[in-house]
Amino acid sequence: MENMDDTSGSSFEDMGELHQRLREEEVDADAAAAEEEDGEFLGMKGFKGQLSRQVADQMWQAGKRQASRAFSLYANIDILRPYFDVEPAQVRSRLLESMIPIKMVNFPQKIAGELYGPLMLVFTLVAILLHGMKTSDTIIREGTLMGTAIGTCFGYWLGVSSFIYFLAYLCNAQITMLQMLALLGYGLFGHCIVLFITYNIHLHALFYLFWLLVGGLSTLRMVAVLVSRTVGPTQRLLLCGTLAALHMLFLLYLHFAYHKVVEGILDTLEGPNIPPMQRVPRDIPAALPAARIPATLLNATAKAVAVTLQSH
Amino acid sequence: MSNLGQFDTDFYQSNYTIDNQEQSCNDSNAYGNLYGSGKILLKFIFRAYILSLFFLFSELGINFDHIWQKTLTVLNPLKPADGSIMNETDLTGPVLFCVALGATLLLAGKVQFGYVYGISAIGCLGIHALLNLMSSSGVSCGCVASVLGYCLLPMVILSSFAIFFSLQDAFGIVSALVIIGWCSLSASKIFISALDMEGQQLLIAYPCALFYGLFALLTVF
Repeated sequence: MENMDDTSGSSFEDMGELHQRLREEEVDADAAAAEEEDGEFLGMKGFKGQLSRQVADQMWQAGKRQASRAFSLYANIDILRPYFDVEPAQVRSRLLESMIPIKMVNFPQKIAGELYGPLMLVFTLVAILLHGMKTSDTIIREGTLMGTAIGTCFGYWLGVSSFIYFLAYLCNAQITMLQMLALLGYGLFGHCIVLFITYNIHLHALFYLFWLLVGGLSTLRMVAVLVSRTVGPTQRLLLCGTLAALHMLFLLYLHFAYHKVVEGILDTLEGPNIPPMQRVPRDIPAALPAARIPATLLNATAKAVAVTLQSH
Repeated sequence: MSNLGQFDTDFYQSNYTIDNQEQSCNDSNAYGNLYGSGKILLKFIFRAYILSLFFLFSELGINFDHIWQKTLTVLNPLKPADGSIMNETDLTGPVLFCVALGATLLLAGKVQFGYVYGISAIGCLGIHALLNLMSSSGVSCGCVASVLGYCLLPMVILSSFAIFFSLQDAFGIVSALVIIGWCSLSASKIFISALDMEGQQLLIAYPCALFYGLFALLTVF
């Protein structure tokens, strides 16, 4: 949009392009000048040199064209553009529908092929995990809190989607990778709700209730969609069982991996009077043979000293 | 003495446009001519310094009036934004606000400049990618950085609260949520007016809220 174009000419991208273009022109000019100065090419003069140079140039141009075409195809972010074309009302309705399982197994259920909602849900889960880790003073020894949270959430979303897509390929299920990503991404909405509530209200019974109810609903929704797109009882069982197990166990893992520390702190602050750390009395071993003092005498002396000190 | 008065007159008739109303050195100064001339010299040096700073800033393209206008736009999230104010990529204000955030965090006992810069850079890249995907026309990374940086100002206010009292209680959480909403509303308002994406303000406000939520986490904890 013109509004956002940098008309002052001082943006880095514009200057970068300008410099690139100028440099290329200079290089071309230099190359042309060098060509005109001497007719040699790799030691070959005359007609042979010119022919070799032309062949080499053509090969170079062809290679460069191929590489730039491949780069523009795969590194072009625009191929993802259609998957981010959504309205707020659509996202809202898809979020609500992700908690409502539909029992329609004879006809493939529709899956919204978009990536905005799943991506935002994964980032929300990262934020909730970070919040949970900060409130429970979790210390990550090898890594950072942010790295752990991002790695866990994105690893689950991308990894489990790929794995289930692979299983779906084996079981001949009618689902694409994009649809799997969208399905699993929206399935994380239940996880976000459960974790957001249970990281702030620390009750095990409440967590188990939410785990079964909310986690179960989102899992059932995904299972119903997959069942409608798979033929054969064995295949359905394999695919849906794997997904259900992974989804429910992930929620358990997220809760307990960052919940233990909170529990520990709560017990310390609110639990019954815990006696101070007690030292277990041990006998002094006979470790000094040179002193020739028997162990029993040493131990008796030590105990007498301890009793005397305690009484004072 | 009269020579000194002469010198005074010659000095204040120069081309400089600085207002001379605070001129206090005059012949009635009881501390003598030397002290009076010293004060004049000091004022001259100070004013020359201010002028040179003014010329330096205009040479560098730093326009304090624009910075102030954009700051006022951010501070009032309900006022409709003019898309043309983001035509020029101005990173002076954003960098100033990032340094101010780091400084207020430092005053609260947290040395987290690196986190502020790192989160800003990575967040800008992420939101730049998202806006390029969602908008019909592209947007440059500098503009995104400029908008996000300006809308960081309310977070500086939150971190200045954190200097005086802890934000880990209910009041702190509520104020953090309010400030996050304020920042993300301002940023999304400017983005949709500049990118012509009416009806998608919530979709842009949410990733901005996540971005500013990271800063709030830094500030609160």
